[in-house]
Amino acid sequence: MKRFRPDVDAPEYHGPYAPYDIIKEGTIAFVVVAILVVALATLFGSPDTKAVTIRSWSNADPVDFATTALGELNGTTITAGYGAPYNHGSLGQELGPLHLANLVGVTIPVNPVQDFVIAPLTSVPNDHPLRVALAQWHTASSAQRATWVSRYSHAAVHMTWSNGHIVVPATDTGPLGVMINSLTQMARSGALDQALVTGHGFYTTNYTKPLLFVADGTYFANLAKSQHLLGNQWGMMNETDSYPGQAWLWLYTFWYQVPPFSSSPNADVQVWAIMMLASALLLLVPFIPGLRSIPRKVRVYRLIWREHYRTS
Amino acid sequence: MVGLPLLAALFPLDHLGHYIHWGWVYISYANAIVVALMVICFVAAIWVPFPGRNRRKESR
Repeated sequence: MKRFRPDVDAPEYHGPYAPYDIIKEGTIAFVVVAILVVALATLFGSPDTKAVTIRSWSNADPVDFATTALGELNGTTITAGYGAPYNHGSLGQELGPLHLANLVGVTIPVNPVQDFVIAPLTSVPNDHPLRVALAQWHTASSAQRATWVSRYSHAAVHMTWSNGHIVVPATDTGPLGVMINSLTQMARSGALDQALVTGHGFYTTNYTKPLLFVADGTYFANLAKSQHLLGNQWGMMNETDSYPGQAWLWLYTFWYQVPPFSSSPNADVQVWAIMMLASALLLLVPFIPGLRSIPRKVRVYRLIWREHYRTS
Repeated sequence: MVGLPLLAALFPLDHLGHYIHWGWVYISYANAIVVALMVICFVAAIWVPFPGRNRRKESR
C-alpha cells in the first residue's frame, strides 16, 4: 500500500456534514462592502489630484519647460537616452548578460527632436518668424545645429522668464531663440498637449508622448517628491495627499530601499526579476517540499477549526 | 450649481500626509492604519467563532 504523504494526499473524511449557503454569504459580503464603501467615501472623500499637463507645467514653471525642450534638442533628456521601446539611445537596463527591453526592440518609436519640438512647431499656422526659423533649422547641417544648441545650452543656465518670453543671454544661436519661445507659448496655450496626443488614429487616448515629455522635466519629479511618490520614498505604495495607498505593493517597493538595489542603475529589472521569482515560488508552493509543509507545521488551521479539534 | 460636489467629504484627506520614518521604513499614517486594520481583521477571522456554533451544539 502506498505511504500517506501529509502535504500531498488528502485523508478520507468520516465526520459529519453541515449545509452551507454560499449565495447567502456572498450577498451579505457584498452588502457589507457596499455600505463600507459609501460610508468611507462620504466620510473621507477620494483622491482627486488634477493631472499634470504640459500646459499646467509650462504655466507653473516656463523656465523648466524651456530647459527641458532644449534638452530634447540636445539629446540629454531621459527619453532621448532611454533606449527600447522608444529609441536606440542606450541598451537599457541589464539583467546579467541580458538587456530585456532591447531584446523586444523599439516598438513605440519616439524621436524627441522631431516628435517633441520640430513636428509640433511645424503645425503652428500663420507665424512668419517661426516659419523662417524652421526653414533655417532644416537647411542647416548637423554640425551647425549642434553648434547652435551647444551655445544656447551654455547660456541657458541664466535663462529667465520675463514679460511672457524666455530670455537667454546668448548670441549666434541661429533659430533656437524663436523655436524655444514659440514652443513655450504653444505649451502654455495647451496646443502642445493636443499636438502630442492627436494624429494617432480615431481615439486620442495615447498619452505616451506628453507623459514622456513631462517626465523629462524637473517640475513633475519635484511634485512627486513633495507627495512622497518617488521610488526611494516607498512611492509605489503611497497615494497623493493623506489617502491610504497600495499597501499591498510593500514588498515590490521594499527592494528599492535596500542595497544593492537602492543604488543600482538596473534596479527596475532586478526588482522585477526578484518579484517574478517570488511569484513563481508562491504559485508552485504545493510542489515545493519544505515550503508546502509550513501551513501544516505552523498549525494555524488548528486555531481556525479549534472546535473540531477540541471534540475530535 | 454645476461643478459643485453633491456631497462633500466630512473629513477630507486632500492635504499633505504625515509619514512615519524609522530607519529605512517610510510609511504614511494612512497606510499604517490600513495595515493595522488588516492585521486586526486577520486575527479576528481566526479567533471569532463561526456563526451558528451554538445551533450546531444544540443539534448534537
